[in-house]
Amino acid sequence: MNTDLTFEDVIRDHQDMVFRTLLRLTGSREHLDDLAQDVFLRLYRALPSFRGEALITTYLYRIAVNVAQDEWKRRRRDRNTHISLSDDVSGWEDRLPHPDRNAEQQIEEREFQQSVEEQLQRLSQIERTILVLYHQEERSYEQIAYALGMPIGTIRTHLHRGRKKLREALQQRQTQQRRAACTTNR
Amino acid sequence: MHDQPIDQNNLSPTMMEHLDQNLDQRILRALETVPQPHIPTGFAARVASQLPARPTVSPTPTHYGQRAMLIAMVVTLVALLVLALQPAAHALGLLETLLFAEFVALTVWISVWRYGLR
Repeated sequence: MNTDLTFEDVIRDHQDMVFRTLLRLTGSREHLDDLAQDVFLRLYRALPSFRGEALITTYLYRIAVNVAQDEWKRRRRDRNTHISLSDDVSGWEDRLPHPDRNAEQQIEEREFQQSVEEQLQRLSQIERTILVLYHQEERSYEQIAYALGMPIGTIRTHLHRGRKKLREALQQRQTQQRRAACTTNR
Repeated sequence: MHDQPIDQNNLSPTMMEHLDQNLDQRILRALETVPQPHIPTGFAARVASQLPARPTVSPTPTHYGQRAMLIAMVVTLVALLVLALQPAAHALGLLETLLFAEFVALTVWISVWRYGLR
């Protein structure tokens, strides 16, 4: 087996993880293929200097976060900081299956999921990244610390702060919605 | 039947606590929901086919630096000998000192490099 085939196997084994992490970090399906390709090309270039002090998965998270950061910078440059979740390239949460719930609950849950995604995109880059790596990817503090090059204490602080901000924003949103519903009913 | 809208001002502390816990659980559930992005068919093969060729490393070292050092040492030594045969002059004495310093530096450098005196 030659080197290219081996690397193709590496891509195949990790492509799901790279795609879903990039999707959650960037909040959009736009350029997702290109970004994922960039991640693997960077990995390929970095392999000769990869000393194996971490799992290749953890190393890939590090690269994926860097690629997402570059994408955020590019968007900021393009003045496209506002991400619409109603466009045809995002809104992945619309396709989540909830087989054990009735239609009304599904709609409610989907709306809530959409709200979480919106609020997630409003957090700082670092808070969003840590929340995604911890909750979605189920990475440990140590792995996140390695991926982001930060002390574990800082990771804990950002995680706590990010969750608090997310909760407050969603609580505020829910209160507003309930008030609006009360007003409409009266 | 779907829940009626709740007036938060009339809620008991227990009810508020219950709502808070419920919200926490829903947030965690939403965060832990793994998106399922569409991965194009043959993505791995396409990326692998676009990998840049690795730079080839020559198996035989060239030692250009070593040769340059040896040539410089010989040239410096010859220059020192030529200067030593000249009658004493202040300017030449200064040049001789500089060349001698260069010769010593080159000798130390090549010794460190060749015999690993590091």
